[in-house]
Amino acid sequence: MAVPVAQAWTVATYVLKQKLKGRKRYPLVLMLEPLFRCNLACAGCGKIQYPAHILKAELTPEECFRAVEECGTPMVSIPGGEPLLHPRMPEIVQGLVDRKKYVYMCTNALLLKEKLHLFKPSKYLSFSVHVDGEREHHDFGVCREGGYDIAMEGVRAAVAAGFRVTTNTTLFDGADPHSVRRHFDQLMDAGVDSMMVSPGYTYDKAPDQKHFLGRARSRRLFRALLSNRKKRWQFNASPMFLEFLMGKRELTCTPWGMPTFSIFGWQKPCYLLQDGYADTFQELMDEVEWSNYGTESGNPRCANCMVHSGYEASGVNYTFGSLKGFVATAKAFFNWQYKDDDAAKLLNDWQPTSHGPLVQIGTPVISKASAIENHDTTAVVGS
Amino acid sequence: MATEQQEHLKIEQLQHETPDTQEVAAGRERENLEGWIPALATDAETREALEKAFDYRGDVTLTLRSGEALEGYIFDRKQGRSLTDSLVRIIPSKGEQRTRRSIPYSEIAALNFSGRDTAAGRTFEAWVKKYWEKKAAGEKNIQIEPEKLD
Ligand code: SF4
Repeated sequence: MAVPVAQAWTVATYVLKQKLKGRKRYPLVLMLEPLFRCNLACAGCGKIQYPAHILKAELTPEECFRAVEECGTPMVSIPGGEPLLHPRMPEIVQGLVDRKKYVYMCTNALLLKEKLHLFKPSKYLSFSVHVDGEREHHDFGVCREGGYDIAMEGVRAAVAAGFRVTTNTTLFDGADPHSVRRHFDQLMDAGVDSMMVSPGYTYDKAPDQKHFLGRARSRRLFRALLSNRKKRWQFNASPMFLEFLMGKRELTCTPWGMPTFSIFGWQKPCYLLQDGYADTFQELMDEVEWSNYGTESGNPRCANCMVHSGYEASGVNYTFGSLKGFVATAKAFFNWQYKDDDAAKLLNDWQPTSHGPLVQIGTPVISKASAIENHDTTAVVGS
Repeated sequence: MATEQQEHLKIEQLQHETPDTQEVAAGRERENLEGWIPALATDAETREALEKAFDYRGDVTLTLRSGEALEGYIFDRKQGRSLTDSLVRIIPSKGEQRTRRSIPYSEIAALNFSGRDTAAGRTFEAWVKKYWEKKAAGEKNIQIEPEKLD
């Protein structure tokens, strides 16, 4: 079971309560960013580019707990930066577990093995380990050779110590569905409870600005990837969100579904875009002109977005929003395999795209790259 | 809110493609703002420059009409109807950690993009190029390291 019954029950009753109260906008998961500093510098990440005094700043446990209480979600995800670099992270996680929040502590797992003893296994706690694909793909995506092996060592250590472990895979243009499907097998072999997969977002501060998947290509990729599934693959995502990625369902963005709190305050409007900050959760909900966001708004920054943080809540909302949604979700449980001959053909005929070498670490595709950059200031070890 | 100029690649792409037909989504071209001292001669110039300062991932220095020079990171701004009721929110780079200040646009006499743009000069293409050079030279454990903070 991808999500434990107790957690699914908590989420379902929370959503139904919001509906009964007549709340039009309610959050589902708090994205708590207690710090921005990280021990990796990934190509697709636009989160960590800040001056040193900002990277050194961090939220206190008390600030974290206040934010959690303010927005009241049943689930809290802790991205960053790398949360394990926060010296008081065990205290923050324990405080959230004590409040019976389902916590996903997102980590690149470089430090997971050595810090594991600081945490206690609990049904409320999952380590959500960021692994972007098979060894070479992951290493190239995170711009660090050997990163995959360390992360998987962390995964195995956490599984062995009795922790719930989920994974998080972000895909960019150039991702090969055959390889990602092998990657799913490897993750399940390592004993993870469930996996999350999402296309990357067009962060305008990310080092790589050329490999953001457009919606048309995302849909083909996810259809090839997620159709004809293996029974052993467990996904930590709503079936409706996965159908949306596969192009089987239209969803509109729910930008308030996963609000973000960081050292700057409540991020307007969503985890991905930074249009300023509110000091309170209520101010965030009241002040943002929500109709300016989402693909349907025409906002160019939302145009290609199909990201989990914008659409997972839409999937959950769809399930509980009408009988139709409920029936569609029930069907998805029975039709978990998504048998699809056309998708099988799409997968078999898949051609690697020629947009560059983001994940082709084994193949020196540097035609474009070698022609560029006379002003390189990239810090590479040993340079 | 990024300016239209900053988002022009995405806007252009959307002029001949719908979001649903996009194969690869346009990114953003880098603007070289480091060291820029914009003229704040008109209201429009002031607004545009502070919008870019809000988007900038480095510290800036504000010279206030009082004569005070304030260096820090602009993490928020609120656009009002006039410059008096528009303000930037800044975290000073020195002094007690995260003591924020709100400065009305009307009190800003000069703006300097004085700090290094932390999102610039680390392009992916540069990493790829270096990677293959290092690989060809037989090096191991190649990586991009996050910057040292001390
Ligand atoms: S479409 Fe994506 S970027 Fe736009 S508001 Fe929704 S989640 Fe944020």
